[in-house]
Amino acid sequence: MSPEASYLWRQILNHANLFFSRKALELLKAGQVRFVSFDQAIRGGDQAVMIPIDLPVPSRPEKTWQVAFNGARLTLWNRIDRPVVGDWRAVPDETAPLWYVHRTGTVLPAWNLFGNLFKLLTFGEELMTNERDKHGRFDALYSPRFKAGLLETPAFNEAVAALVATCAGLHRNGVPDLYLDKLLKPPVIVLSHDCDILLGNDHWTQLVRAVRVLAPVARAKFPRVANLWWIARNAVYPRRFYFDNVPGMIDLERGFAFTSTFYLLNGSGGRYGARSGSGILRQLLPLIPSGWDVGIHYNYDTFLDHDRFRTQFNELGEIVHKPINSGRAHYLRFDSKQSLPFLESFGIRCDESAGYAARIGYRCGIGGCFQPYDASSTGPLDIWEVPLVVMDGTLVSQYGEESVVAFRRLLLHLSRVGGAMSLVYHPGQFHNPEHPKMLGLYHRLLIECRQLGAKSETALSLVNNVSS
Amino acid sequence: MQVGLIAEDEYDACNNFHNLLYGKRRTIEQWRWEFVSPLFGNPQLPFAVVRDNDRIVGTQALIPIRMIDKNGIYWTGKSEETLLDPTYRGKGFSEKMYQLVFDYALQNGLVCIWGFTRATKALNKSGFDVPTVTSQILFPFSSRAVSVLLRSHAAAHERDSTGSFKSACYRSACSLAQVLSAITFSYTGRRLPATGNLQVRTLDEPPEDAGRLCETFVRQWGGTTIYRDAAYLRWRVFDNPFVKAVIRAVYDREQLLGWVAYSLGDDRMGQLVDLILAIDRTKPYSSEDVTRLLLREAVIGTRNMGAVALRGWHVNDHPFDKMLTRVAGNSGFYLVKKGLAAVLHPIIKGSDPRPYGSFRNWYVTRIYTEGVFG
Repeated sequence: MSPEASYLWRQILNHANLFFSRKALELLKAGQVRFVSFDQAIRGGDQAVMIPIDLPVPSRPEKTWQVAFNGARLTLWNRIDRPVVGDWRAVPDETAPLWYVHRTGTVLPAWNLFGNLFKLLTFGEELMTNERDKHGRFDALYSPRFKAGLLETPAFNEAVAALVATCAGLHRNGVPDLYLDKLLKPPVIVLSHDCDILLGNDHWTQLVRAVRVLAPVARAKFPRVANLWWIARNAVYPRRFYFDNVPGMIDLERGFAFTSTFYLLNGSGGRYGARSGSGILRQLLPLIPSGWDVGIHYNYDTFLDHDRFRTQFNELGEIVHKPINSGRAHYLRFDSKQSLPFLESFGIRCDESAGYAARIGYRCGIGGCFQPYDASSTGPLDIWEVPLVVMDGTLVSQYGEESVVAFRRLLLHLSRVGGAMSLVYHPGQFHNPEHPKMLGLYHRLLIECRQLGAKSETALSLVNNVSS
Repeated sequence: MQVGLIAEDEYDACNNFHNLLYGKRRTIEQWRWEFVSPLFGNPQLPFAVVRDNDRIVGTQALIPIRMIDKNGIYWTGKSEETLLDPTYRGKGFSEKMYQLVFDYALQNGLVCIWGFTRATKALNKSGFDVPTVTSQILFPFSSRAVSVLLRSHAAAHERDSTGSFKSACYRSACSLAQVLSAITFSYTGRRLPATGNLQVRTLDEPPEDAGRLCETFVRQWGGTTIYRDAAYLRWRVFDNPFVKAVIRAVYDREQLLGWVAYSLGDDRMGQLVDLILAIDRTKPYSSEDVTRLLLREAVIGTRNMGAVALRGWHVNDHPFDKMLTRVAGNSGFYLVKKGLAAVLHPIIKGSDPRPYGSFRNWYVTRIYTEGVFG
């Protein structure tokens, strides 16, 4: 097996270990999945899943189609045509195939499974372009999948689900299944909170409010005087609706038997920095009970800067008095090539930065966790990525009144194909009348998680589960 | 048509019947948690059903609940899941189901059946007394509380009682009440006891001495209350698959003095699920002081969770209930004289001198309730 195939197979097994039953994992490991050249794959002969690894991956998704599977619809792209040589039939049908099955029992994916997944896990589509926004981020709009409407498709999860069902079917009667009877675990929700503003009276936040008062006047509209109230209120009670929301979020999560991670922002201040300073973190920590995790929210100016990052990391270590193993970048500043090796060098075991700031979706095509690929050593790095899928404000700006419906749709899909959804909710957005659209939203999202039987893991506990 | 006790293979059908009738999404795990008590030994549930061929068209359940008074602990049945398909009403099925669970109660040592309802007439026909109508204590956080209360009222009466002018008036009144409550609450915060040795902790596990606290409670305050020992708290709170209430317990060094339990309902209404305490008279603080402290925890806790209001029950004139209502009133709560009627049906009469049939001396909170809140 090539190093690339070996790497991908390992990620598939890790994923199956987390989100599928023990039996499913055994079926996958039973040797019925092989990564081979396309020529070898279409030869037929063995009852096995033959995955071609040498097919080119187009720069943009081509030929998308959907296949009914386990009560959901899998979305596939980059189609492989049915081999003309030999006796192959499409499953479930010719117009929307998932697999091609040879009369000897060989199963061939109907899409470029290896190419698509390897490209997604290795940030392939980001490496093809230099387009970045003003914060140096790869915006969702630059992704070829955005134009194809595929950002909310967890392609990796769907592929693993299809593989598991196929292995189960081959094991039982030699034919791929299209359902996952008792092979799937409940979906997992990975909750986290970026504690970037814990006091509502810092100069920048108050200045932004002041600007909001007058900004409509420039457009010949009435000034938004409500902002004067927020200015006055947080001047008198700086913790209200920020710091005070933290115990409220914890109590709320406790009610659902969920836990979460608090990513703490310390270090330099300023507009993009730690506006509330580092001192408040010492008062926050006693509020975070055991079972909840604490990680680092990498400050804006530490992006790929060893000295600054080390300063922030060490300072937080002194505040927390515990090893810091997980983190997420402030403003989601993340370089697809350099960030993960950079973070690994500081001992970060688990990162949650690989998400989009302006859209919800699966940046790496996976809802769960994976080890990034290191091209130089042709193996996985010793760090895990748990890609962010849903950010509070982004969900509302994208879906408005339909936010809960959209969230439910994503989680429902994961409940059918297996996986985890990483959701970030900021304390200042949780219960703050200044953001009326957000009032009660976190609660409603958690209710949906409960209704869909989701289990809660922190990013770190998820990684610990897979690596234990 | 047949009325009988539920069989194990009918659990799903009963839950589906409930969901269909109420438009709910209760899961079978939640149903099991509600009705399959880990504390009551009998595998046959006290759950009557009406079957029309293979279809469930009516249900009447009891949740076995242990009560404690000065003479000890005994079993009662909390009436629950009173449902009948509208097309089958007026044919005596409710009475037949009740008779079945009454018989079950008699055979299994449940000394009385109790509950809370708006449908007092129907229950009167089945032999229930209506000893009292409950009130509520309410602490408003937002004028949105009005919408929640009106919605739940309208749903209960199956009609829309929310005229826009009326609800605007309610909202204005609620905004004013909210300000007054906040001022009162802020003032009472300065009158908290000197908390030298007192410590409030959030419980991750039910306290082992919870049962002992209930015993002390009935010795100090008299009457009857729910026996919330560690096993009960684990079942009703910590293993609750709907919403697990937050329990904040107050300790004097390592001695458990009492706790408050609160939660946030799916409609964002904060619920005072439970409050109980037993304070030794030799302590330098009073029961009122500690009650005020615990109410404060519940107010701040639910407010930070994003609740639109916090409400609890005032059921009767049990001395503790009266004291709690008084302290709540001094802490910014309002007493709203609107609530469900309590109903009670004694099963064992005559020879047993204990006042099972007297609801006046019961101290009950939402800790008993059927699911979502406790």
